[in-house]
Amino acid sequence: MPKLSIRRRLIASVFATQLILTVALVALATYFTRGQLRAAFDAGLHGRAMSVAALIRYSEEGNHELIFDRELSPPSLDRRHPDFYQIVDESGRVIGASSNWPGNLPGPSKPGRQYWDVTVDGVHYRTVRLDHLPVLDREGPDTKSNATITVIYAAPTDEFREDLWHAAILTLAGSLLLLAMATLVVAWAIRQGLSPLKTLAVSAGKVSASDWNLNLPEDATATEELAPLTGAMETMLATLYRAFSSQQEFLANAAHELKTPVAILKSTLQSMVQVPRTADEYRARMEIALDDVARIEKLIHSMLRLARAEQSAAGHHRQDLVPVDLAASCEQSADRLGAVADAGGVRIEVLSENHPTIKADPEDLELIWNNLLENAIRYSPKSSRVLVTISEQDHNAQVTVQDWGTGIAESELTHIFDRFHRADASRTRETGGYGLGLAITKAMVNAYGGTIVVDSRVGEGTVMTVRLPFKS
Amino acid sequence: MRILIIEDERRLADNIGRSMREGAGYAVDLAFDGEEGLYMAESNPYDLVLLDLMLPRIDGMTVLQRMRTAGITTPVLVLTARDEKESIVAVLNSGADDYVTKPFDLGELVARSKALIRRGKGHGAPVLKVKDLEINTADRTVRRNGKLIVLSGMEYRVLEYLAHRSGAIISKTELLEHLYDFNWERFSNVIEVYISGLRRKLDDRNGDLIQTSRGQGYMLRN
Repeated sequence: MPKLSIRRRLIASVFATQLILTVALVALATYFTRGQLRAAFDAGLHGRAMSVAALIRYSEEGNHELIFDRELSPPSLDRRHPDFYQIVDESGRVIGASSNWPGNLPGPSKPGRQYWDVTVDGVHYRTVRLDHLPVLDREGPDTKSNATITVIYAAPTDEFREDLWHAAILTLAGSLLLLAMATLVVAWAIRQGLSPLKTLAVSAGKVSASDWNLNLPEDATATEELAPLTGAMETMLATLYRAFSSQQEFLANAAHELKTPVAILKSTLQSMVQVPRTADEYRARMEIALDDVARIEKLIHSMLRLARAEQSAAGHHRQDLVPVDLAASCEQSADRLGAVADAGGVRIEVLSENHPTIKADPEDLELIWNNLLENAIRYSPKSSRVLVTISEQDHNAQVTVQDWGTGIAESELTHIFDRFHRADASRTRETGGYGLGLAITKAMVNAYGGTIVVDSRVGEGTVMTVRLPFKS
Repeated sequence: MRILIIEDERRLADNIGRSMREGAGYAVDLAFDGEEGLYMAESNPYDLVLLDLMLPRIDGMTVLQRMRTAGITTPVLVLTARDEKESIVAVLNSGADDYVTKPFDLGELVARSKALIRRGKGHGAPVLKVKDLEINTADRTVRRNGKLIVLSGMEYRVLEYLAHRSGAIISKTELLEHLYDFNWERFSNVIEVYISGLRRKLDDRNGDLIQTSRGQGYMLRN
């Protein structure tokens, strides 16, 4: 199917409009010309009728008799179809007629008309009837007589019709020529008018993953009709660029973070083959290598989890959500981390005023609480406690995780939810962390339309507040 | 030779240390954070420091700058996960001698370490020549008059150190400090054993090549 062309459609519509106008104009001109030509023809016809009437004389005998000498009548212009006429007096007596006078000439379609058209033997004639013409003979004996005559004169209209046809053809040809020229001009103007679209397309085509700049050509920005398009393009590019840079940043971070565990595994394997070893030594080194691989695996798992959480935060709808009792969910996580807490000499307390329920994936919530609790435990001193409180507000369920540990420096506070951010490299690594825990937590909370806020003072402790809306 | 590895990834530090001991015969000390690393670098005479940049407590860049401010001229090889040009330039401008990016090849790391130590001692070529003695630090072989001489690991290390500083008197303590890690005091009696072993194998029974300065130390004469 051929593509719709704005240019072709515009040209076609302009052409159609002009064609209609042209036809109307030609018709009007032809009608007007016909009127003019007929008026001239009628005047000529009238003149010829009068000249025939002028040939009427009184007879020499002085008996008031009117006579007509056919021999004196003027020759017809059209030899093939000569004019014909009849002259009658007041009483209706035929004074004279042309030799070719047809016996029964039809009268005008409306009685009383002076001019009318007739067809005799297939030839079109125009007829004039002149009544009450005075006899012009002033030389004969009856000059005092007031006798009048009636002349009916007909002449063929072939010539008139031909003239009209010529005039129509000429007007039509001229108009069509003008139409063709106008169409060309319009086509050129439209092509010129649409050229900003072309330059815009060219500059849009130059946008790529390495060059995000949409260099809008001047004629495109100066065109009023293109403003919505260029505006939309710029907005779209900005949105795409943000998504793309975020992905690239994630990829760069991920690659960077993978370097260290890969370097460890590589060094383990290389040191294994550097010198010959005993089977037991090989076995021991192999186990270390396996351990290294497990760390890489764990990191990759965390990255995927983060990517997925960020994707659902970006508006992916999920169907697998079930009502979850937040208090029960928190208790469960607290139980699970009980052993870790005990090892650090930390006690976890869960306080629930009521039992808010939200629709969620229980695994997601567990991961959120686990991450928050692990952090709290990690930074808590021995024989302190971590307090979890669950409460209900207007439209939100609220969970706070509070510790009385080392706290977070003010300069760190803005970064703790960043991907791959580590407040203290050695400490998080000892527990296998890669600075993704809080980033994942935040992405997941956001995925449920919730918010997470941190409040912390160095030496006093940290409070993490998670708010999850009942309706997401 | 004795080197210091400052790297917070214990596993990686262990692996590098093992490689340096086995592949180059160096004595290796490990530090797992910047503070400890800086303290060790300031209090021991190392022949090379391997320094990670991402370190807890004091970051690697600061460790490097403080070492240089303190006047420590020991060659420093930086281990970095970053390979952006700017950070490499900054590292080298702060006084590092070389860098490798993670994940690196241990063989390459050992070779670069050897080259840095060699240049740190003022030698360009990997083969050290003292009179008719040739010590190839690349494959750790020793020849005298073109004849291959088989040495034990510690004998080689003593000879290599003496050869790097040939013409200078090296105290027993200095030898110990550079050939052993921080436990060197335990080995204080063994240097004589290695020296006599070396003299025997190098056919230097009169001590013309390896001279003993009573109460001062040893010197490889050139």
